[in-house]
Amino acid sequence: MRGRSLGALAWRIFVLAAVGGWLAFLGLPLVSLLVRVPPRELWARLLAPASLAALRLSFVTSVLATFAVIVLGLPAAYVLATKRFPGKRVLEALVELPMVLPPTVAGVGLLLAFGRAGLAGRALGALGLSIPFTTLAVVLAQVFVASPFFVSAATAGLRAVDARYADAAATLRATPGYTFRRVLLPLALPSVVAGAAMSWARALGEFGATIMFAGNLPGKTQTLPLAVYIGLQTDLQSAVALSVILLILSFTILLGLRFAHRLPRTPWVPRVAGDGR
Amino acid sequence: MLQATVARRRDAFRLDVAVTAAAGATLVVVGESGAGKTTLLRLLAGLDRPDSGRIVVGDRTYFDAAAGVEVPAWERDVGYVAQDYALFPHLTVRENVAFGLRAQGMPRRAAQPRLDAALEGLDLAPFALRRPSELSGGQQQRVALARALVTEPRLLLLDEPLSALDLGTRQAVRGELRALLARLVCATVLVTHHPLDAMVFGDAIAVIEHGTLTQVGVRDELLRHPRSPYVAALLGVNLLRGTVLRREAGVAQVRTADGALVVADPGVEGEVFVTVNPQEITLSLEPPAGSAQNVFRGAVIEVVPEPPAGDRVRVVLGTRPPLVAEVTSHAVAALGLRPGSEIYASFKATGVKAYQ
Repeated sequence: MRGRSLGALAWRIFVLAAVGGWLAFLGLPLVSLLVRVPPRELWARLLAPASLAALRLSFVTSVLATFAVIVLGLPAAYVLATKRFPGKRVLEALVELPMVLPPTVAGVGLLLAFGRAGLAGRALGALGLSIPFTTLAVVLAQVFVASPFFVSAATAGLRAVDARYADAAATLRATPGYTFRRVLLPLALPSVVAGAAMSWARALGEFGATIMFAGNLPGKTQTLPLAVYIGLQTDLQSAVALSVILLILSFTILLGLRFAHRLPRTPWVPRVAGDGR
Repeated sequence: MLQATVARRRDAFRLDVAVTAAAGATLVVVGESGAGKTTLLRLLAGLDRPDSGRIVVGDRTYFDAAAGVEVPAWERDVGYVAQDYALFPHLTVRENVAFGLRAQGMPRRAAQPRLDAALEGLDLAPFALRRPSELSGGQQQRVALARALVTEPRLLLLDEPLSALDLGTRQAVRGELRALLARLVCATVLVTHHPLDAMVFGDAIAVIEHGTLTQVGVRDELLRHPRSPYVAALLGVNLLRGTVLRREAGVAQVRTADGALVVADPGVEGEVFVTVNPQEITLSLEPPAGSAQNVFRGAVIEVVPEPPAGDRVRVVLGTRPPLVAEVTSHAVAALGLRPGSEIYASFKATGVKAYQ
């Protein structure tokens, strides 16, 4: 008995120490960012024209990218959630690939596809369009890296909607499209919104693919993360101020998602998967 | 009017049935769970596809494997009420009931009168703005019925309409549903595993066992002449199979695999079904002195109270042939019946029916 309780105590100490160390490791850089610049100074740095331009650009591009991800990703999520077809697993892996692919690799890929000699680039060039190193390139890079977060969450949400609701809708004269809009989407809405928020957060933080594919042109393609990178070499205080903004935004999004499911407006959110049938 | 012949095989299970239901009439398909009842409804609704067969409702062919016809579920005039109703949890009662009309593209305003009528007709007006989770089981069922009926289907499919209800509500809802079904002009197919429901709802009753219909008939026909042990057990009667040996003086001897019986003369020779109503069987500790021609000795296997009546008890006997008797709980107490008790079971020849 004595040996057993000693073992249990040792285990508790180990777990506490490990978790404490891990939290310290995660927290230390964040705290360092927050204490580095006094609040008044922070405010001044943020209102500097260069910072404001990066802030505005990041906001506009990430919102556009999120909308594009939703529009393109919802049909994909619907297909993945409701259909069965050969090669589905391959498609699923492909959809999630940008999640683990180094963003720089994504940037090179985008550049090769949309560059002057690229597959799509040549066709666009014939129309007099060039995408690389434009604001559109920023959005495309963000769409590329952010889409898996939305598609995965939306697919999981749509799949979790009990099939009997879609069946009931079909026997009530609802076409598959009507069923999607009036039954599947509303019931999966919490997951869809969560996916969109994650997607937005990812687009906001996008760096590698952007710098490869869109460059670093202030006011045009220099988003917040790029401004932080440049600032580190020229103006540390500004870099820290922008970092703090990104930190607060990201943390707010994640925290918001954790509280969102308690909103009284969504009483139908499935609390557990399945209903015991 | 529904006429359907459908077959569908999935792994080891095979469903192969032909059903018909007249407009305004209810066909009850009764069978154990896993017999294929829900599968049958899903095929009729168009939610699953038969491997072969034909489904005709009125003048429209919804499915015809030979002709390559398959009308999708959302283009069939079929109402379907699932076992647990599947009410849309994010919509109010009113929006649930309106769903079928709106899905057909009927404008909100035009749908209003029919919607109101449907809500009124099932006493749902007071709950119109509630969500399904705020309703009792009986109210949820009425919403599901209103939702299915508001589109005026030509065929209504009900899957175990009472099984999601607790015992207390079931009795009341059974009566309401029966009255509603009697008013309907469409054909109705109701599936249940509950023999009492089959008796209450069915103009015609089809017994389904392992994916095939083993007996189809009107209620009284089934009650009088069950043709399989399952149907007999369903109805609570003893069913035996035997051969007529001798007929004289209004009675006949029938030999079964487990011994001989004396029965009222069936008027036929050869193989017959024999049914013994459990209430006709008298139990006693001593050999009976009366005029009963059939006396069997054996041990009590099980004593089962009949749930609804309370006063009646079914006694399963290990006699040859095996019998089930139904006696009062008073008799069980007086005889001290418990599993293992040795007992005499007796019944008159007139309490037995034999038929071909």
